[in-house]
Amino acid sequence: MAASGLEDTELLRLREEVAEKTREIERLKLMLAEGNDTKAQQAKDAPPTLIESGNIQDIPTFQPADRLDKPAIARYSRQLILPELGVKGQLALCGTSVLLVGAGGLGCPAAVYLAAAGVGRLGLVDYDSVELNNLHRQVLHTEGRVGTPKALSVATAVKGLNSTVQCVPYHLQLNSTNALDVIKQYDIVVDCTDNVATRYLLNDACVFTNKPLVSGSALRLEGQLTVYNYKGGPCYRCMYPTPPPPETVTNCSDGGVLGVVPGIIGCLQALEVIKMAAGQEVSYSQRLLLFDALDGTFRSIKLRPRQASCVVCGDAPTVTQLQDYEQFCGAKACDKTQSLRILQDNERISVQEYHTVLSSGAPHLLVDVRQPVELDICQLPNPINIPISQVSRPEQLQQLKTAVTCKVQQLEQDDHKLPVYVVCRQGNDSQLAVEQLRNLLSDLPVHVTDIRGGLMAWARKIDTSFPEY
Amino acid sequence: MSKVMAAAEVQVNLLFFAKSRELVGSKEATLAVPGQTTSAQLLAAIVSRYPSLAVISNNLVLAVNQEYVAPGNDLLTLQPGDEVAVIPPISGG
Repeated sequence: MAASGLEDTELLRLREEVAEKTREIERLKLMLAEGNDTKAQQAKDAPPTLIESGNIQDIPTFQPADRLDKPAIARYSRQLILPELGVKGQLALCGTSVLLVGAGGLGCPAAVYLAAAGVGRLGLVDYDSVELNNLHRQVLHTEGRVGTPKALSVATAVKGLNSTVQCVPYHLQLNSTNALDVIKQYDIVVDCTDNVATRYLLNDACVFTNKPLVSGSALRLEGQLTVYNYKGGPCYRCMYPTPPPPETVTNCSDGGVLGVVPGIIGCLQALEVIKMAAGQEVSYSQRLLLFDALDGTFRSIKLRPRQASCVVCGDAPTVTQLQDYEQFCGAKACDKTQSLRILQDNERISVQEYHTVLSSGAPHLLVDVRQPVELDICQLPNPINIPISQVSRPEQLQQLKTAVTCKVQQLEQDDHKLPVYVVCRQGNDSQLAVEQLRNLLSDLPVHVTDIRGGLMAWARKIDTSFPEY
Repeated sequence: MSKVMAAAEVQVNLLFFAKSRELVGSKEATLAVPGQTTSAQLLAAIVSRYPSLAVISNNLVLAVNQEYVAPGNDLLTLQPGDEVAVIPPISGG
């Protein structure tokens, strides 16, 4: 029995050893799994490679899957059970590459729904970087990413939502040299841009490469949407053969925009792309959507097929290669307000000079030609507000003349002229106003000049606590 | 008197969008125009009534009853109360 007792002790020891080894194996398995998870997480967290002008060709290869795996079925289950989409539509969507140009107010909502729905490859083009004044409408950017390239910011956001989408961020300005090389790598192009020159560039490039162009736009409280160059429908040039005079084009910075308006149009752009990619009929080919956010109305204008006379997509096109679109439109391919040079330097004063005038208390008049709503945001002391559009109106002019007459009496010597300084936000409208006011006030002893750089120059050079907008 | 001048006038409802809304200072208006006209003449009549639109008269689309009318001299028949939309492109985003 002694041997048997020994055996029992040995068995017990062996059992304990097995249990210990089992625990050890579990521990090692856990470590291994954690390590893998960390690696996988790190791969997911790594910022996507940014494509810049030098490496346009270097985008990763795109190999669409031929079946939906278990995680894909789980992810897309709520849309897979729609008969209009189904597995076939989802596979088509996952096999589609979409180029989104403009990662702003339209691009953010378009990108987020395209990525969520599972497009295969999503190219994101934007030359700009995130600014604080973007965040009210460009909802994928974050406070922490102010200053980073918008394309990268959207790619980062979108990757967190759906890491299976291949995101390709391009930090570059599309132009007639690089546009075809970028566009030819995609199936569908989405115009989320903010300027006329890039809209004509994208249109022509899409005609030349035979790609549909899902075009959206928004300003103030209005939006528009059309799918161009698709199944015999018109192109942008069929509709608008001549670009508008640059001075009639309002940008979001000058005109304002309520964020949800491009939000709605961007979502509709994503919807059109999804239907197109999944093999459904699109709704806005040969149709123009007009959205009025204030009235809450959507109007759909029936368009004609492509125009036989169109210079780019017509029967005898005269534009057969990309051109210089900034020259064609007479405006830069961005939505930044360009500085006008209408007045000579000696007809303008600097913010420093006006600061001296203000500090000395010298008699003068300050005319602020912005909209009243802008004076509510910020203003210099004691301005007379006459919006630029109303400068020549009799009642406004009379108000100004009365103020001039009153101030002239404060002049120490009769032969002096009363300085009238005109100010606006950035120093463009003020120059236009000076031109008008010189004639309108020619019967009074005044010297009319404007303040160079306007209130934004004041905020940067004189008073850093002064709001910039 | 030309044929067009002789045709009866009809009152149409003008709708202004985007830049045209800003230039005219209103979303809608009514205008008496010849019932038999062309899109070129219709546009000329609108710009004549609202001269501030002259600056964008080459850069807009006209739609009658939510249907695009091609610019040019094709005959256009208008009924009283027809909706004529003046649509410049928006380029912001």
